[in-house]
Amino acid sequence: MIRQLRRPDFWTVVTGVILVVLVVLLLIPIIRVLLLSFVDADTLKWTLGNYVEVFTRNFYLKGLKNTLFVGFLGTLGACMLGIPLAFFTARFHLWGRAWISTLAILVLVSPPFIGAYAWIMMLGSNGFITNFFGRIGIETPTIYGAHGIVLVFTLKFFPFVFLMTQTALMAVNKSFEDAAENLGCTPLQRFTKITLPLVFPAISTGAIICFVLSIADFGTPAILGRGFRTLSTIAFSAYRSELGGVPTMAVTVSMIMIAISMLALLAQRRILAKRRYASSLTNLPVKTHLTGWRNVAVHGFCHGVVLIAMLPSLVVVYTSFLKTNGPVFVGGYGLESYGRIWRTAPEAIANSFLFATAAVVLITAFSALISYVIVRRETTASGAIDFMMMVPYLIPGVVMAIGFVTTFRSGFFGGIGAAWLLVMLYFIRRLPYGVRSTTSSLRQVKPSMEEAAINLGAPPLTAFLKVTVPLILPGLIVGSLMGFITAINELSGTLILYDAGSITMPVSIYLAVLDGEFGLAAAHSTVLLLCTGVCVYFVFRFTENRNSAFL
Amino acid sequence: MASVEIKGIRKLYGDVVALSDINISIPSGSFFTLLGPSGCGKTTLLRTIAGFHDQNAGRIEVDGKSIEGLPAYRRDVGMVFQDYAIFPHISVRDNVAFGLKQRKVLASDISKRVADVLEVVQLGAFADRMPHELSGGQQQRVGLARAVVIRPKVLLMDEPLSNLDARLRVDLRAELRRIQRDLGITTVYVTHDQEEALAMSDTVCVMHQGVIQQAASPLDIYLRPENRFVATFVGACNFMSLSKEGGQFSLKSSGAKVFDAAGFNATEIACAVRPETLRVASGHVTPSPEEIAIPAKILDVSFIGREMEVLTITDGGEQLKSLARPDPAIIELANGSSVTVLVKRDDLAFFEATEVGRRVG
Repeated sequence: MIRQLRRPDFWTVVTGVILVVLVVLLLIPIIRVLLLSFVDADTLKWTLGNYVEVFTRNFYLKGLKNTLFVGFLGTLGACMLGIPLAFFTARFHLWGRAWISTLAILVLVSPPFIGAYAWIMMLGSNGFITNFFGRIGIETPTIYGAHGIVLVFTLKFFPFVFLMTQTALMAVNKSFEDAAENLGCTPLQRFTKITLPLVFPAISTGAIICFVLSIADFGTPAILGRGFRTLSTIAFSAYRSELGGVPTMAVTVSMIMIAISMLALLAQRRILAKRRYASSLTNLPVKTHLTGWRNVAVHGFCHGVVLIAMLPSLVVVYTSFLKTNGPVFVGGYGLESYGRIWRTAPEAIANSFLFATAAVVLITAFSALISYVIVRRETTASGAIDFMMMVPYLIPGVVMAIGFVTTFRSGFFGGIGAAWLLVMLYFIRRLPYGVRSTTSSLRQVKPSMEEAAINLGAPPLTAFLKVTVPLILPGLIVGSLMGFITAINELSGTLILYDAGSITMPVSIYLAVLDGEFGLAAAHSTVLLLCTGVCVYFVFRFTENRNSAFL
Repeated sequence: MASVEIKGIRKLYGDVVALSDINISIPSGSFFTLLGPSGCGKTTLLRTIAGFHDQNAGRIEVDGKSIEGLPAYRRDVGMVFQDYAIFPHISVRDNVAFGLKQRKVLASDISKRVADVLEVVQLGAFADRMPHELSGGQQQRVGLARAVVIRPKVLLMDEPLSNLDARLRVDLRAELRRIQRDLGITTVYVTHDQEEALAMSDTVCVMHQGVIQQAASPLDIYLRPENRFVATFVGACNFMSLSKEGGQFSLKSSGAKVFDAAGFNATEIACAVRPETLRVASGHVTPSPEEIAIPAKILDVSFIGREMEVLTITDGGEQLKSLARPDPAIIELANGSSVTVLVKRDDLAFFEATEVGRRVG
């Protein structure tokens, strides 16, 4: 029988467009970086020399060791704060529980490098805590170096462990614990033998996120390192020193970073493969009341942790209102810092909003389409797209940006402006936030909704816009807001791609901190914090499960 | 109103045959039901007609015109969904108007037609409600109104009543049938509920493993099943084993000769009888000439109100279930009491002893 040839249907075309965009913006830059790491910078011939150099020269080996060191310790610290916090808030009646969660979420979304330089203002050589103790004759340890970075990572990343563990704890069927008790377990045995293993997948997922983010973090070691170099700062400075040439060492170091992230992720998958606990929520866990010193201690711990973690942001806001004369704080309060950012770099503010908004418009449109393709179309292509949505999580910003430079600054794509590259970079790096949120929304919508629309005569695009999009709107909005928050706070990739006309707020902050212009940095940071806070408020408005929206 | 011809439809999922050479002819205005267990292909066939997926071979004609090649949104077949699929973000009125707007019907006509059809489904007062303010039964009425208001050539219904509770299901069943008759719209209805199928349909089409087993009137399906699967799926059956002597089959349990067929072995033929045709009598009874008497013992009697279910076991160890009007004399018998099970020769049916074995007598 001869089959009529139909025009490819709407979603086949959309799938094709998505694939092209992902290949051009994601795969080609990454492959370019991968290939460049096998090229000799001088002769431009294939070589393994770059890797040999990384694994033999002390400079790089030290960097690798340092990266793993702060990565592991930062993750460990995050677990040590996050896990108890999760247990306390999930199992005990705490005064101000919503407040604790909200602060943890604010810590999570606040610009990552703010923590680093706020700690300098507190514990640096001229920090106010240092000075305070100095005056009474006590020498405080310096914030610079490995332990400072670990401190910042710990306080910055513990919300991941906290929120994931808390969500899991609140979903553990109480009957399991009751059964353990009924079978003769003491409360401690019940906790170690039943509850902890049940939430272990969530803890390990949170820990892996901490680890991957620690490895990729550029701002913190760049600001606090002072000679303590990690792979991301090495890759960045290698890129800077190779400017004009072929950035082979920068990309080789980048590949090592990606390899570490991927190994961590694979390890976690292996751990989780045998641990899938489906839980029906027939019997919700109950919270108990604490009394006496235990109650005081638990409250003190929980509120203490989130307050200390919020401290950098508070310091930054406070500092921004201090009276300054140039880079010097002259005592008293004033708006000079705001006046200066307005006079010297209004374009940084404008650019930040412009680029992030442009990226988010793209993120919103593509999230809606991609999530439809992933959820509703079971094809090889949709599986590939689903898989590719994992990739941006694994690729540090420095690496993605170097990939963009090597791909789009020359040859076929040559001549694309820095502003466009930044928008594209934010788009592709933050797209997974939108896709994930929208996908989970769409999984709640029954396919028969769209079928009904089509059956009533709506072509696929009309059915999608009139029925599907309104139904997934909350997820789409939350995902877009998360994309916006993370896009406007992007530093590491921007540092590599920006030019004079496309400076952004995070870059201004970074440069101001390097110049010791803390007032200027604080004013910029406060603007960023403010717009992040506004976004968080709207995420809260549009989401039912506050925890999961931010993870 | 339109007739539907389905010619040689095949549908494969990988190596799995979902539909195998389906041929159906549905006269204009009739109510045609696809009946079968889950996984039999009935929903696949319905969705193929709706255009939600392509068949691997075969064609579908509506009023003699092939609709193959038309995408789902241009097929002009109304569909009522199992889970209602009422758009939750727009009002009842907008739900019903959705298809009309797609067809660019004049606004004044839309409001008239929407109002009319909501009266037909008795939801006139609910036009401005949001879907979540309606009960399941009301939502499904909206689903029906939304599907018929576009005046489709064919109406498809995919287990529309299966998510409703038992009583509502029976009420809505009668209403669906009344509306379908009034509109005279050709309807293809999918269900796994045999009672629903028998009660509503002009034609019942029993499907199994992607193959049509029998398509006939409800009466023929029940009284004259063409194969063993139809007999067992629609209504209950007792099966009795046979022995063969010189081309004659007789019931093992009574020795009575029942069937004459030289070509088969005893194990190749199954003898079936409906529970409601069996009569249980206390003690030993002499049968009339058209009856066969089977000696048995009471295994269990359950009285379920309008009837009683009597489970007996023959001396050969075969269990026979009988369904009859309650008889105190039987209900009060102790388990193990001797009884006679009487069966009319005309009520026996003979099938080849495979799952879908055809009827041989």
